Amino acid sequence: MTTKNVHSQSNIVVRFFSSVKLAIFLFIILALTSIIGTVLPQGESLQFYLENYGPFYFKIIRTLRLYDTYHAWWYLALMGLFSVNLIVCTVKRFPYTLRLFKRNYLEMGRDDLLRRPFKTQWKTAEKTNPSDLRASLVETFSSLAGKPEARENVDGGQLYLSDKGKWSYWGVYLIHLSVLVIFAGAIFGSLTGFKGRMMLLEGESTDHAVQMDSSGNMKKIPLGFSLRCDKFKVDFYRNGAPKLFKSDLTVIDGGKEVLKRSIVVNSPLTYKGVTFYQSSYQSVPDLKIRIVSSDGKQKVLDLSAFDKGLWPEKKLLVGIIKYLPNVHGAPAARVYVGDPSGNNGDAIWLLEGHDREVSLGDNTFRLSLVSAKEKYMTGLQVKKDPGVWVVWLGCAMMIIGFAIVFWVGHRRLWLWMGKDGEKLHVILAGQTNKNKVSFEKEFEKVKKAIDTQIGEK
Amino acid sequence: MHLSSSYILSLTTFVYLGATAIYLLYWIFRLEKVGILGTVVTVAGFLMQTAGIAMRWRESYLMGYGHAPLSNLYESLVFFSWVTILVYLVVEFKTKNRVIGAFSTPFACLAMAYASFSPNVQDAIQPLIPALQSNWLLAHVITCFLGYASFAVACGFGIMYLIRGDGRGSSSYLLDALPSRRTLDELMHQTIIFGFLWLTVGIITGAVWANQAWGTYWSWDPKETWSLITWFVYATALHARFVRGWAGKKIAYLSIIGFVSVIFTYFGVNFLLSGLHSYGSS
Repeated sequence: MTTKNVHSQSNIVVRFFSSVKLAIFLFIILALTSIIGTVLPQGESLQFYLENYGPFYFKIIRTLRLYDTYHAWWYLALMGLFSVNLIVCTVKRFPYTLRLFKRNYLEMGRDDLLRRPFKTQWKTAEKTNPSDLRASLVETFSSLAGKPEARENVDGGQLYLSDKGKWSYWGVYLIHLSVLVIFAGAIFGSLTGFKGRMMLLEGESTDHAVQMDSSGNMKKIPLGFSLRCDKFKVDFYRNGAPKLFKSDLTVIDGGKEVLKRSIVVNSPLTYKGVTFYQSSYQSVPDLKIRIVSSDGKQKVLDLSAFDKGLWPEKKLLVGIIKYLPNVHGAPAARVYVGDPSGNNGDAIWLLEGHDREVSLGDNTFRLSLVSAKEKYMTGLQVKKDPGVWVVWLGCAMMIIGFAIVFWVGHRRLWLWMGKDGEKLHVILAGQTNKNKVSFEKEFEKVKKAIDTQIGEK
Repeated sequence: MHLSSSYILSLTTFVYLGATAIYLLYWIFRLEKVGILGTVVTVAGFLMQTAGIAMRWRESYLMGYGHAPLSNLYESLVFFSWVTILVYLVVEFKTKNRVIGAFSTPFACLAMAYASFSPNVQDAIQPLIPALQSNWLLAHVITCFLGYASFAVACGFGIMYLIRGDGRGSSSYLLDALPSRRTLDELMHQTIIFGFLWLTVGIITGAVWANQAWGTYWSWDPKETWSLITWFVYATALHARFVRGWAGKKIAYLSIIGFVSVIFTYFGVNFLLSGLHSYGSS
């Protein structure tokens, strides 16, 4: 009694997880909940949601993690349930499909054939020689329908069967399996890979990418090699739309330049499993400032925006506070000049072609903006995803599975020949589970050929 | 007036409008000749549209841009309309039923009317920005729109199914001309599988392309998410057949809801939501 109870309980569980109704329920729930993340802005700060939606909705948003819907626990749980449903359904249906696949369609009687959706029969005139006709009919059948299997003594005759596309029953399994493969690839990739960014000035190199975590902290991801940006190029169409973003990159591994390549959007560079994508750019000023001390010594500092440079000998710090590319036709920069501690200093405007003097303690410095050029900084997306090939495998399986489900059917053609007194009784029967129109044509073709042959004899 | 591709394409709006009217007349009067005329007009519109698309392709080369006319909202609407007619003509050829035309050609006509006459849609040929400079553009757009067009035709079948009702009592002259409910159910199922296949390939080609351009095959951008929502709706319709009592009417409703979701994926996302696909909106 108890074992029976346990059995029926587990049956209920299996029946629940394997039901198509659960699958449909999940499709609908996933479709409805997926809308949330397209309407509600995703990935903003909690503050943003409090300000825009008020305390009531804020609580809901925070509890259900609607600021990151597609990674929220409940959404992932739905996806997990979906996977379980898929697995249980597939396992449960498997024996049924296996039976369909293994079934021998030669195990049929004459009357079974006459119950097929496509059938036709002939009885020959008495004078013909049945054995000659039999041989030539089998030949016709196998040349038009494909080499048949045969069985003797079927209701006093022989039965021939041409069976094609039986394997198409597995197409659905391929689709269902592909969903799981894609999930597996996505999970594997997210566990073993990373995604980051880097900004590289022309001429600059780096050995790490930068990742921003959910709380806004920067994290460095070492690459194991270095990447240098040699040059960046941007080009526009006449209407002002961007035409080209291009970075010339060099990979430096173990102190040697091992790879040189230009990347553009849609054509990334991959080295040791790490891929670099062209994603953005910035133009950055490159300023040369000459400082002449009152004792006649001088130094030229090469500075970028918000950059600072030191003249250690004179204990002098120069920093760029602001840069304007065009003030009355010339570039200008607001510059901090002072001692490195920042206690004693001054902020001045430097205009190209106009020197300025600054007195600090007993020394006077003469500063001039020698040149100001625009330099580019390329923005690269950096990614390592070992799971992506698993995802592509899953996608390929899915497409092949759909193609099978849509185009390949299981089609059967039977030919039976037996005696009816002195006459030869011939039955042609057919059945298909897909594409009835083209099967009908094939059936008609075989029928016509048999017609002519029986007529000739 | 200079004979430009967009002028010719705007004219096809009226050819398809004419085709819709003729198919409706055929439905009402059931004169074989009227039906044939409907097919002739539709094929003529289709050829005209094909010529218009080819001209636009050539014009883009003359302007020095040189890309297939599948790069913005206007061009995608034209292509949607073109594929819808193509799918319909295949269905007409296979089923030999011309009443279906009254429920398919309106979609093509509306798409062309919107493309040609809405102030929201610009018909100028634009150069390709770097993100669109990829061979995957063609594969992605063609597969997606094969899916969308099939779903438009399936939606037509859904409407026909619901108009036909449960077939009891109110049998009328007009309803009898529609294919039987069994046939409609089968046609609906076939077109949905076909569309689903292409929608799936469309989503996958989009993922491959996104991975190549941005390094992420799926980023839950609103357009991606809505294509997934559409996918779920049609997955429901395909599985509903296996649940007792769900075939027929419920699937007809799903094929209409599915197409509404397609339309939202296509326009709603562009105009109401923001995301990576913004170049599809002008």
